[in-house]
Amino acid sequence: MRWSDTFRLVSRSIRRRAARASLTGLGVALGSGLLVALVTISNTADTNVIGRLSHGGPVAAIKVAPAVPEPDQLDSDSLESRGIHLLDDQSVAAIKHSRYVSSVVPVMTSEVLALPPKADPSFGLMIGTDLTQLGNLPITVLAGRMPSPSSLTEVAISSSYLDHLHVVPANAPAVLGMEIEFATPRREPSGQVRFRGRWFRATIVGVVAQQVSDGDFVFPIKQTQLAREWALGGEPDPDFPLLASQYTGLVVVATSLDRVHDVRAEIDQLGYATSAPEHLIATVQRYLRVVDIVLGGIGTVALVIAALSIASTLLTAVHERRREIGVLKAIGARDSDVLRWFLVEAVAIGFGGGIVGSLAGVGMAELLGLAVNDYLLKQGLGGVELSSISGTIVVGGVVGASLLALLAAAVPALMASRLSAREAVAGE
Amino acid sequence: MHGLSHTYRTGGDSLTVLRGVELEVEPGGYVALTGPSGAGKTTLLSILGGLESPTEGAVTVGDYAVAQLRGDQLAAFRRETVGFVFQHFGLLGALTAVENVELALALSRLNSKAREQRSLELLAAVGLAERAQHLPKALSGGEKQRVAIARATANVPRLILADEPTGNLDPDAGSAVMDLLERLRTANGCTVIVVSHNPIVAGRAEVCYRLEKGLLQPT
Repeated sequence: MRWSDTFRLVSRSIRRRAARASLTGLGVALGSGLLVALVTISNTADTNVIGRLSHGGPVAAIKVAPAVPEPDQLDSDSLESRGIHLLDDQSVAAIKHSRYVSSVVPVMTSEVLALPPKADPSFGLMIGTDLTQLGNLPITVLAGRMPSPSSLTEVAISSSYLDHLHVVPANAPAVLGMEIEFATPRREPSGQVRFRGRWFRATIVGVVAQQVSDGDFVFPIKQTQLAREWALGGEPDPDFPLLASQYTGLVVVATSLDRVHDVRAEIDQLGYATSAPEHLIATVQRYLRVVDIVLGGIGTVALVIAALSIASTLLTAVHERRREIGVLKAIGARDSDVLRWFLVEAVAIGFGGGIVGSLAGVGMAELLGLAVNDYLLKQGLGGVELSSISGTIVVGGVVGASLLALLAAAVPALMASRLSAREAVAGE
Repeated sequence: MHGLSHTYRTGGDSLTVLRGVELEVEPGGYVALTGPSGAGKTTLLSILGGLESPTEGAVTVGDYAVAQLRGDQLAAFRRETVGFVFQHFGLLGALTAVENVELALALSRLNSKAREQRSLELLAAVGLAERAQHLPKALSGGEKQRVAIARATANVPRLILADEPTGNLDPDAGSAVMDLLERLRTANGCTVIVVSHNPIVAGRAEVCYRLEKGLLQPT
């Protein structure tokens, strides 16, 4: 019998017993739907949690400080330093040379006096970095955008500075377009004026949450380089010892989360202190793995129940169709024709159930994500994306349900194929 | 058929239904088998058609030593050499009349266009051209049996085995079915062996045998 004939026979058989096939398919749909929903939620929740731990930047990001590491630095996620170790282009080149480093982004900070139009002047830190590598930095844009990488007149402020401007976080877009006057200081050699400022204006183009460095103002690195050059033109000031360092920090991204420790160890060997949430992430990952196993287990149990339902349906079908199977063999069907008939019927039910279930599972995940998000927002917490649809999971759900149906049908199909042709003439 | 014996074994019990049966039918012959219920008529037919293997003895149909065939060879024998007509019609309820006939041709891997055409011709030959697209549940008993006969003759078998072909039909329908079977036998030149309790049906055959207590006797 050709495959096309088998498909036609299967389609007719399913149509004839549409109610039973639908109920069995529904069982498969419930199982695969539950599994797809749980895996989708678990998968995206994992990504979100890890993403939060790494402050919106790459999960494999490491911060390097211009400092000598303590001997136990690698045992700690936070910076453990003892004394200055200047960071310059040579240090950057040495770290970039490391096998498991995918990027190194230099960071410069500088003292700055900010004079916003409708708030008190205040001293703070300006952060300058290579904004062309935004994807490698722990920065999340909350409103607006980041300054253009080469701009000297644009700035992004941190969300904490909103408070200084008397603006609530929910109203962050209101500060976009506001112009702030800045002054970076340098110590004068002598005379009545102790400090002199380098003045410039910048327009707020974005509000960000950032973990690049301490400071409220994020600029393209050129602006902080100008500030440093200005400061170096004056007298050395014991209050600003880091002025001697070309960079006040680096953000290094490892090739993968698994390589974070290796990269930290290599940077430690180079004599620099580092910080990265590697131990925290590892611990959280262990807990998430347990959650994944539990959720996956629940879904798998549902699928196994669906598989048993398919096996039960097909066993009943074999019993009911003993005479039909016998007739089919009596008119010349091979055992393999009968085997294929039952297997294809099972796969068809599994495939149909898998499609319905996977789509329903994605829908369930979406609804759950919306409900959780709504709850978090009502509680005044930041929303999370709990259901980013993965094509792989959906396809996996359909393929998995089909394979499971095939597996569940193996015994009934073998029984059917081995039925004697004598059944064709057997009495009721 | 030579020295054919058959015993059913269930657990520790055994029941011998055929005892050294000898039967020879000429090609194109028309034979009826009668006998009381449980005499082994259907068993004899099943062994002849390769649905069952005898406990002892030899069965030869044309060039086939049926008792020696296994697996796909046996399936090919049933497909190409034998046509079955059952008392219960043996139609697949999910398939229409034409699809039931096509099924026999599909197993012979005939292409779909050719087999559809042949199936419609066969249905026309049994007077059911206009019922081709009906499901078995929409057909009368006589019509179902005519579809079954069309299917049985689809691959032009050398041997047609009919097990109580009129058992579920009223006398008129039964007579029409037997007329059809005989007409097709004449047209195709095939051998027909009919099992029947009905003396009128059995009486239509050229030769009639009675099977009783496992022994076959001409009547």
